[in-house]
Amino acid sequence: MTTSTHPVSPEEIMAFVDGELAAAESQAVSSHLESCTECAAVAQQFQSLSQSLSQWNVESIPSNVENAIQEANAGTSPVAKIGRAKSLNRSGRTWKLWIYGFGGAATAALVLLVSVSTMSRRQYSHAYLKPEQEEKSEISTYAPVPSPDTAVSTSSQIVSRARASAPMPAAPAAPLAMVEKGIMGGGGGGGYHADVKAPSAPMIARTVSLTMRVKDIPTARTALDGILAQHRGYAAQLTINTPENASRSFQASLRIPAQDLAAALGDLKRLGRVENETQSGEEVTQQHTDLVARLKTARETEERFRAILQQRTGKIEDVLQVEQEIERVRGEIEGMEAGQKALEHRVDFASVELTLTEEYKAQLTPPANSVSTRMHNAFVAGYRNALETVVAIVLFFIEFGPTILIIAVIFGLPVYLAWRRYRRNLARL
Amino acid sequence: MQQAMSVFVLNSKAAKPVDMDEESRSSDSEQPITARSDEQLMLAYCGGQFDASGIAAFNELFSRYKQPVFGFFRRRLADAAQAEELTQETFIVILRSADRYASSALFRTYLYSIGFNILRSHRRKLAFRALFQSTGETTREPETHTSIDADMQIRQAVGRLEHIDREVLLLREFEQLSYAEIAEVLSLPVNTVRTRLFRARIALREILSAPVTIPSGATLAKIKERP
Repeated sequence: MTTSTHPVSPEEIMAFVDGELAAAESQAVSSHLESCTECAAVAQQFQSLSQSLSQWNVESIPSNVENAIQEANAGTSPVAKIGRAKSLNRSGRTWKLWIYGFGGAATAALVLLVSVSTMSRRQYSHAYLKPEQEEKSEISTYAPVPSPDTAVSTSSQIVSRARASAPMPAAPAAPLAMVEKGIMGGGGGGGYHADVKAPSAPMIARTVSLTMRVKDIPTARTALDGILAQHRGYAAQLTINTPENASRSFQASLRIPAQDLAAALGDLKRLGRVENETQSGEEVTQQHTDLVARLKTARETEERFRAILQQRTGKIEDVLQVEQEIERVRGEIEGMEAGQKALEHRVDFASVELTLTEEYKAQLTPPANSVSTRMHNAFVAGYRNALETVVAIVLFFIEFGPTILIIAVIFGLPVYLAWRRYRRNLARL
Repeated sequence: MQQAMSVFVLNSKAAKPVDMDEESRSSDSEQPITARSDEQLMLAYCGGQFDASGIAAFNELFSRYKQPVFGFFRRRLADAAQAEELTQETFIVILRSADRYASSALFRTYLYSIGFNILRSHRRKLAFRALFQSTGETTREPETHTSIDADMQIRQAVGRLEHIDREVLLLREFEQLSYAEIAEVLSLPVNTVRTRLFRARIALREILSAPVTIPSGATLAKIKERP
């Protein structure tokens, strides 16, 4: 039956008997069966098997079952059926309702998320705009102040005068004679009459605070060096901050000759956008006059002591005492001279506190590490993590393995036995 | 009839596609109910669950299939009462979930698929219950003395086949399903169905041709216990 000499397999014969072959195949098998008695016998066996199986009859369906189903179909009222159908529909509808509910909830969540994010962004932009508004108001308050040009011109005169006086320590009080007539009286040196042109010109120590926003800090710094060189100023202090994820800032404490202040400020303002500007001038005339008067008195006292020392002779104690006095007065004079110089320097050189803030450029990748470094770090971290994970798993099994085994035996064995029995039961049915 | 239809349309919110309704109505007028195909009847029932035509269509279907379905369960279950119960359940499912019937499906396949699912869940339930019964013998077929020897012999022989082979054989021999239909009901490839059917027939032929002594209860039990 299973010999390979036959062109058709027994399975094909079976399919032919069942009428499950395509027309062409069926034709082939049919013609083979006519010629081959062996295969015809196989077909006959299949047919007889089916026949013998067909003897297995079952009793007819009990009438009570039949009635029950027919009642379920027709016996019940249409209302009940509609109710049933409705309940079925409802189950379908609840399914849909769930979908709609989930969809709606998801949409609501999305809308909420979007609105919250836009709201926070608006608040952020609002906060961002604030400084500009403040800047405007400050500028407007600043406007009524007398123009700096006039102030600078006056101060430049003062400075030039102060300079003229500087190389003449022998008559240090001379320029101030014009300023403070009350103290000096009319007895000032006649050689200084030229300075009487501006008797009321005050001594002013100018301080300017400038906050600006620039495009690029290095460029601005180069320009700043140029400006300083041009106006013969210098930087007393320089600070550059480069924080991560924020704009760079540059702070400088500049000293600029007072007569060049206006021009230098004009140049500085061209570096970027001015956010804040404050100018103040401290009137130090009084201070200076006091100092000069006290200095003159001290010098006179010193002269007098020296004269006493030269002209008079006396006890050694007296001489020592006079010398001590001279020393004290000398110290006072030096202190006052230093104070005078500092004061005059403040008048000569205006102090400019410059703060430059760079426009913030968000950077895609933090400039801290290069890509290759970060790759390397990631590889190292990945390797270490993998190793630690493996070690952790091994440790876990070493630590809990025996317990897990015991639990598996205690609970798994009954479950396995029950499952095996269940399968056996199922196969038996 | 027209009146009844309009009542249905008014009452039912589960609107069926119009063409289906039209089809059932036109076929109504053309043929007597007994001459219509299973699928036409099922569609008529789906389209008119609450009127006389739908009820009549279902009754016709029921009269065609009540015995085959009962036979389907009776041959697979030892207990006649359980077979009756499951037959009833199958038809109730057909009644209730007519909405799910796709017109493209053969009614026979649809019916036996439902029947097979019900049978499978019933078997699982029994197997699970048997876990908690001391002997497990209660699920064993009680000897029905009404069956004649030939029936008994075939039942024993079929019972010795492998589970899926047995299902394939029974669906082919008694439910007269084609290979494709069997494949659909059992969710198997058609080729697998053919191979398994062949195997089952060869095995069954060998079992039946072996000299069988008139089985006593004890030997029967032994035969049954073999996988």
